[in-house]
Amino acid sequence: MAKEIVVEHLARVEGHGTIRVLVEDRKVKDVKFEIYEGPRFIEKILVGRRCYEAPDIVARICSICPEPHQVAAVTAIEKALGVTISWQTKMLRELQLLADVISSHALHLYLLSLPDYLGYPDALSMIDKYGREVKLGLQLKRAGNLLKEVISGRPIHGCTVKPGGYTRIPPAEELENLIKPLEESMEGAKLAVKLFSSIDYPETPRHDNIFMAIDPGEHYGFMGDYVLTSTGERYPVDRYKELTNEVTVPHSSAKHSTYKGYPFMVGALPRMMLNKSKLKGQALDMLKDVESKLDAANPLTNNLAQALETVYAVERSIEIINELLSKGLKPEEPIVAKSRRGSGAGGVEAPRGTLYHYYELDDEGRIVKADIVTPTAQNVVNMEKYIRLSAERLLAKGEEKLEPLLEMIVRAYDPCISCSVHMVNVVRLR
Amino acid sequence: MASGKVKVGFYSLTGCAGDLLNILGMEDKLVEIFGNIDLMEFVMASSRVKPGKVDIAFVEGSVTTKKDLETIKRIRENCSKLVAIGDCAIWGGLQASLTGLDPKELMKAVYNTEENYYEFLGEHKALSEIVQVDYELPGCPIEQDEFLQLLIDLLRDVIPEFKDYPVCVECKIREIPCLIVEKGEACLGPITVGGCKARCPYYEAPCISCRGPIKDEANVAGELLMLLEKGWKEQDVVDKLRLFAARYKDISKLIRRV
Repeated sequence: MAKEIVVEHLARVEGHGTIRVLVEDRKVKDVKFEIYEGPRFIEKILVGRRCYEAPDIVARICSICPEPHQVAAVTAIEKALGVTISWQTKMLRELQLLADVISSHALHLYLLSLPDYLGYPDALSMIDKYGREVKLGLQLKRAGNLLKEVISGRPIHGCTVKPGGYTRIPPAEELENLIKPLEESMEGAKLAVKLFSSIDYPETPRHDNIFMAIDPGEHYGFMGDYVLTSTGERYPVDRYKELTNEVTVPHSSAKHSTYKGYPFMVGALPRMMLNKSKLKGQALDMLKDVESKLDAANPLTNNLAQALETVYAVERSIEIINELLSKGLKPEEPIVAKSRRGSGAGGVEAPRGTLYHYYELDDEGRIVKADIVTPTAQNVVNMEKYIRLSAERLLAKGEEKLEPLLEMIVRAYDPCISCSVHMVNVVRLR
Repeated sequence: MASGKVKVGFYSLTGCAGDLLNILGMEDKLVEIFGNIDLMEFVMASSRVKPGKVDIAFVEGSVTTKKDLETIKRIRENCSKLVAIGDCAIWGGLQASLTGLDPKELMKAVYNTEENYYEFLGEHKALSEIVQVDYELPGCPIEQDEFLQLLIDLLRDVIPEFKDYPVCVECKIREIPCLIVEKGEACLGPITVGGCKARCPYYEAPCISCRGPIKDEANVAGELLMLLEKGWKEQDVVDKLRLFAARYKDISKLIRRV
């Protein structure tokens, strides 16, 4: 007789989805990550439109990471048009991505993950006992949002980002005003490292975990033209299709990706493991203290990697602002290129991992083809793998309560499913 | 109201979750806001879902799947006041710009299959096309100050006021040079409902009408004519008009014509 146990949908993740684990005779029969976020066909909306409209459209894919979508899109379009951006634009783009890392990681660490580890339904319920943590977490998130507002016009769906540059270069005083809130947010970033390095992470099964991340060049970062793999390879972003191999599966509206047939992981942990030698400043100092806690085989430690990245992002943002201020901000308009037929791929590191955008343009500068590969879609197969391995391990140990750990694994990936989640249904067939 | 507080639920259908995230983005006011309501459901922020009817339901997102359809009907049955928040809930969102295209073709173009795995309804609809909606708060995403005012009004049982004037009014108040007149840009401020304090023009970007048209009052034909006179191509202007409000009657007529 079949017995179905419906566990409350997974909360505190962005979007709608279910992890379904089918257990029969105490064995895992099947694991399916079902994403039931409604299809929005963003790639189709883009077709036929002028490429200059793309940043406004792709921002709407996701409210937590509109910034990486915009930067990936304009990078791809600039390649197609043959535009080379200025140093100032490049710096502002880096700031825009850092702002998103700060606010997204703060949201995920303090509001979505911490309640898990402390046994609360949400951050607001923690206030009586963990008031300082909640206050510093919100302050950190706010600093990221303030930075977004100055660069791209608002924290969600910024309006200043165009191929070739920004519609408005922030006035010096607005940038200067960001330094104090960023400096004050450092306490929350450092506290996150302390909190997430002192957690006794539940063990997940040991398994080779393939990592991928953008090669940021000389220093740690979120932009670049090449992708690094933990198998020791380096691919130009243009060859993203070989790295992602997307296929559509019947049970999910997010596509599935594998690398040479194997599941792989993108996100903060992969970035940290592949690029930690490029860290500097306080993030490097803190890494030295907590490095032994970062476990390549345990995706739960992704949270600690996010915390370290937040320290880096705050410090690097202040550094870039000071550099821009000392050189003086130039009144630049976005570079408008002559329309031409062409194609280009752009890759950036979104908070959840590598994000690719690819466009083909016609000779009027209209988009004829768009392809967007999101981090969550790349991570799905790896999440399913860890869910399966963990469920098998728990069942073998005779444990009945699978759901909490399985939910934690999913949430550690910080899945963002409006890219394409409330999860973990365990279905038991006896 | 056992606690004496108004029972409030926050719900999300198909969209980017930006309106709810923007509410969570009021970092310095969250404790006060949630201290003054009985929070029944806000899945993005809390794993605690309380059973029972709610006084006010804030709903974002378009009705795109069979599940959305069931969810919005269930929410309507279980709330006293239903508030649509954001462009997806009010106009179907930018995904509604695909209205009229064959669902099979859409599936094929994006998911490389004609099979409808997702129980896609074939169209992205606004909440008011399905259920009775009491209030609509525009924006993509909504503005925080407007949400806060609306919430306070509803908690005090005051009838809320909504803006019925164009973005241009706020541009003038802030003394922002007109992007249409000064730069010849295809700014949609004249037909777009104000309330954003002319955010995009302030950042030197033309209005893309993410707040949607001024209901029943937007002079779409006038906007189109003006931009054609400025040398814009008809297809480009219609494309801009349909991005956020393809289901607005005057704009859907234009789409058929081009």
